[in-house]
Amino acid sequence: MTATTEAAKALAAPPGPARRNRARDFRATRWGWAYSAPAVLVFLAFVIIPTGYTFYVSLWKWNALNPALSKFKGLGNYSRLFNATQPTFLSSLWHSLYFTGAMVVGGTAISLALALLLQRGGLLLNSTRVAVFLPHATPMIATSMIWVWIFNPKFGLADWFLHSLHLPTSQWLQSSASSMPAVIIYSLWHEVGFTTVVFLGGLAMLSNELSEAARVDGCSAWQEFWHVTWQQLRPVTVFVIAITAITSLQAFTQFYQLSSGGPAYATTTLSYLVYQEAFIFSDTGYGAALAVVLFAITVFFTLVRRRTAAGGESHALV
Amino acid sequence: MAGASRAGRWARRVLAVAIGVAFVFPFYWTVVISLGHPGEFSDFPPVLVPHWDWSNWSRAWHSAPWLRLFGNTILIASCTVVLCLITSLLAGFAFGVLRFPGRKVLTLVVLSVLMMPGTVLIIPDYVLANDLHLLNTYWIQIIPWGASVFGIFLVRQFFLTMPSEILDAAALDGASRLRFLRSIGVPMVRPALVIVAINVFLGSWNSFLWPVIMTNSSMESSSTVQPVEVGLSTFANAEGTDFPGLAAAVTFTTLPVMVFFLLLQRQFIRGALSAAGGVRG
Repeated sequence: MTATTEAAKALAAPPGPARRNRARDFRATRWGWAYSAPAVLVFLAFVIIPTGYTFYVSLWKWNALNPALSKFKGLGNYSRLFNATQPTFLSSLWHSLYFTGAMVVGGTAISLALALLLQRGGLLLNSTRVAVFLPHATPMIATSMIWVWIFNPKFGLADWFLHSLHLPTSQWLQSSASSMPAVIIYSLWHEVGFTTVVFLGGLAMLSNELSEAARVDGCSAWQEFWHVTWQQLRPVTVFVIAITAITSLQAFTQFYQLSSGGPAYATTTLSYLVYQEAFIFSDTGYGAALAVVLFAITVFFTLVRRRTAAGGESHALV
Repeated sequence: MAGASRAGRWARRVLAVAIGVAFVFPFYWTVVISLGHPGEFSDFPPVLVPHWDWSNWSRAWHSAPWLRLFGNTILIASCTVVLCLITSLLAGFAFGVLRFPGRKVLTLVVLSVLMMPGTVLIIPDYVLANDLHLLNTYWIQIIPWGASVFGIFLVRQFFLTMPSEILDAAALDGASRLRFLRSIGVPMVRPALVIVAINVFLGSWNSFLWPVIMTNSSMESSSTVQPVEVGLSTFANAEGTDFPGLAAAVTFTTLPVMVFFLLLQRQFIRGALSAAGGVRG
């Protein structure tokens, strides 16, 4: 047999052991560490080790100017959580949960409704999709400034709108009763575009056959939605709830620009309090203790999410 | 029956237009304010049509080093994108294609990053940056964001769906891994890289908490390393009552982002679906 026919045979033959070995050697290599190293080093240096460091800092009366002069307090910063004066930890925790709850319920309901409205496509509905998504793509600092004017009781659009409908107007950001609802309205405007698109993606993957079967069986539009569409959207909904909960717990910029945590601490959430204690009041140790609590809550949410996970690869990340 | 469904379709369209207009109206109103006369913002009804008073724009433009701030943002965002593309490509390749001891552990390490919120990291990273004398530099605004969990897993996903014959053929040809990555890997995962680039760019442009903490000191404004959003915030605190001027600044700082989004909205919306995992920051 000549060399050429042997080569031809090798090419035509199903993958032989030698060939498979080569591919295996290509895959199996300790160089995998080197390939993942750049990303892993960034995460280690700026995310994972610093998270551990937060625990460490939270045990000290930290001196930001000269860390060598810090005093060890043990769990002192943590016991302060429960007897701190204004703004209290418990009230900020409540504000965080209030904001997160409203965003989860309101955001999920609104974006599901928008997705159902816009799912058909066509130029007009697609333009609305882009319009709804636009706020999410623009910076929070700039758009928060716009909403400060919208909520202005003297010349703002919000009160003008209520006024022209003969409804009672509101002080919005200037009263402690209405400032949190105002921040929530702004945040919904900024965030629902994203979750609407997630729901649209979910709707696009639904099986048409089930809906048709439901219609043949004489289901009303509402029954079809409730028993067929909604059931199939469950994993997407869980995902939307999880992502909204986690981003809402972390929300900072809108509180900074719209309300500065006020008035009278009415919009001081846990995230905002971390910033305020550490960077305004320079109490880094106490700020770190608050950050540890925030971290614990985030982990708790993530684990609950994992346990209730219905699976599906698009949800693998949260 | 047919009449009812046609009416339904029209109702749906009218509702969609109303909602679209409502979502965009705040932007329109900002432009109106920016073109209004400074004195007229005191009472109802609000001004709803522009008066074309461009003096607010030039006043706002001349009261801060906007070009420098824009340049900073573009420099920071572009470098972050380049870093993220490199780290995502390499790590996505490692997790999707290569088999090595410790791969599972490393995957878990990367996934755990999603549980560590930016607000928690800001304190230790500030202390760290202070110790390393990295405050008020470009470095501290770029390097920490130079890897993206979302990017890594998106690239990995693309490699996992690659037919193994391609890999076998490359291995049989005796291609090195780096060469494979360069000549076959990159073209194959290009759609993923585009999505990562767009999302990282926008994320970097729109970030605020990190840059405002890391570039806090009052510096000579002509040599500042602050991005444009931090500059806008500083400008707003200084000129808080000049509504038309501030509205002009909001408009010309937001316009580039909007144009960027509108040009790339298709990829952007597709990216949003997969971006779902990127909860960092």
